[in-house]
Amino acid sequence: MANGDWTTWEEAGSRPQFLGPMAAPDLRAELDSLLLQLFQDLEELEAKRAALNARVEEGWLSLSKARYSMGAKSVGPLQYASLMEPQVCVYTSEAQDGLQRFWLVRASAQTPEEVGPREAVFLYPALRRRKGLTRTPEPESFPALRDPLNWFGILVPHSLRQAQASFREGLQLAADMATLQIRIDWGRSQLRGLQEKLKQLEPESA
Amino acid sequence: MLEGAEFYFNVDHGYLEGLVRGCKASLLTQQDYINLVQCETLEDVKIHLQTTDYGNFLANQTNPLTVSKIDTEMRKKLCREFEYFRNHSLEPLSTFFTYMTCSYMIDNVILLMNGALQKKSVKEILVKCHPLGRFTEMEAVNIAETPSDLFNAVLVETPLAPFFQDCMSENTLDELNIELLRNKLYKSYLEAFYKFCKNHGDVTAEIMCPILEFEADRRAFIITLNSFGTELSKDDRETLYPTCGKLYPEGLRLLAQAEDFDQMRRVADHYGVYKPLFEAVGDGSGGKTLEDVFYEREVQMNVLAFNRQFHYGVFYAYTKLKEQEMRNIVYRSSSFEVPIL
Repeated sequence: MANGDWTTWEEAGSRPQFLGPMAAPDLRAELDSLLLQLFQDLEELEAKRAALNARVEEGWLSLSKARYSMGAKSVGPLQYASLMEPQVCVYTSEAQDGLQRFWLVRASAQTPEEVGPREAVFLYPALRRRKGLTRTPEPESFPALRDPLNWFGILVPHSLRQAQASFREGLQLAADMATLQIRIDWGRSQLRGLQEKLKQLEPESA
Repeated sequence: MLEGAEFYFNVDHGYLEGLVRGCKASLLTQQDYINLVQCETLEDVKIHLQTTDYGNFLANQTNPLTVSKIDTEMRKKLCREFEYFRNHSLEPLSTFFTYMTCSYMIDNVILLMNGALQKKSVKEILVKCHPLGRFTEMEAVNIAETPSDLFNAVLVETPLAPFFQDCMSENTLDELNIELLRNKLYKSYLEAFYKFCKNHGDVTAEIMCPILEFEADRRAFIITLNSFGTELSKDDRETLYPTCGKLYPEGLRLLAQAEDFDQMRRVADHYGVYKPLFEAVGDGSGGKTLEDVFYEREVQMNVLAFNRQFHYGVFYAYTKLKEQEMRNIVYRSSSFEVPIL
């Protein structure tokens, strides 16, 4: 029997496993591809994070421009209720590799309106449900989904509309980022697992 | 009205005119703005403002410093100056000051009504109301359900009462109607203010009437611009235009039919004053917006008001210039509060 085929008895809690000949190079190949995938995901995550920050900054500056035209107290927490119905909900689903994906779904299919320009609403539904609870779609309990833009009046300046558009784009990015982060966490744990296995196979090359 | 303000203006109002000119000298200069642009945090802004006439106005603020606090403190300072002028004024300057405060009162009433719609507590909203527009019946505004309720129960004793002529209706106050109410109140107010200045005559009329005409036309343009793509009908829109400007009556009629920015521009091209303003508007992002161009023109007119003496326009101009300064500081400071995710 080759030396590397059996795990050593000294390792507490480990059971001898027969991994077969050529197990180590296969493992290494798998490790490499996993690492590459991980780096790709990380790069995508960083790109999406930069894009999200750019959207949020754009939206925020458009909001301050709106405050410039409308008055600083006319675009603020006084204009919206403390309890609000979200217009965009986050759903999760299991993909074929067992990982969760996050989907953004607009609450009503009729009116093509999405989440408004407030950061609280922007973060609120995504963070609350990020822990992966599957959410059953609510029945048509929304009385009439109004555009949050109308919280600030009927005649709103163009900058407020631009802010809403920027935050809307950022929302989609946030959902993608959450999905990517789950994939990255899974990738890292897989990586660690593989590295452990490799260490057990070849203790001297650890 | 007897011409020759230079003979008798100083008897009643000379002290206040001198005072307001002194205040005007303390407005931020080009150098101050250059320093503000170079600031990197809100603390820097506070330090720079300490070297100006604002002084230690933020000294009593607890950490953390927010843009909202800076805005509130600046407003309080302006309010103190304004109240001083007002308390020392005689007629007809006192009526002039009352007219000036009406626009803030209208804003406060609308803020309170919107807050009631969103079920906010009155205390929460009162804190954010503009101090210049305070009146004793403010706390009762949120109980009104319709405009006639509002008038009969609350506002009949306030200076806003005469402006309710066109606004009395039995419609419940929802968002569309509150917006219509705001604009109609403001239209009546502006027309009344214009009439007051015109009847006063003399240098005050010569300075204030063009400023108020510009304000009326500017509102007409901005209402039109913001109404594109909304549910506001053209007829409703036309009822919101103040009629004391240069655009009345033909321009307003044309503007009511406009459906996009280019049609608006064509209306403006008929007027020698507004054509260059519209030409200065840049396309898309990066250039000046129409609102920016209008603000610049307003500031220009307000600065020129100080070139004449013996009129009430200096008080109006000083208040507006101070407000523009506050808007600038708040806009500059808000870039320090951008959240990073």
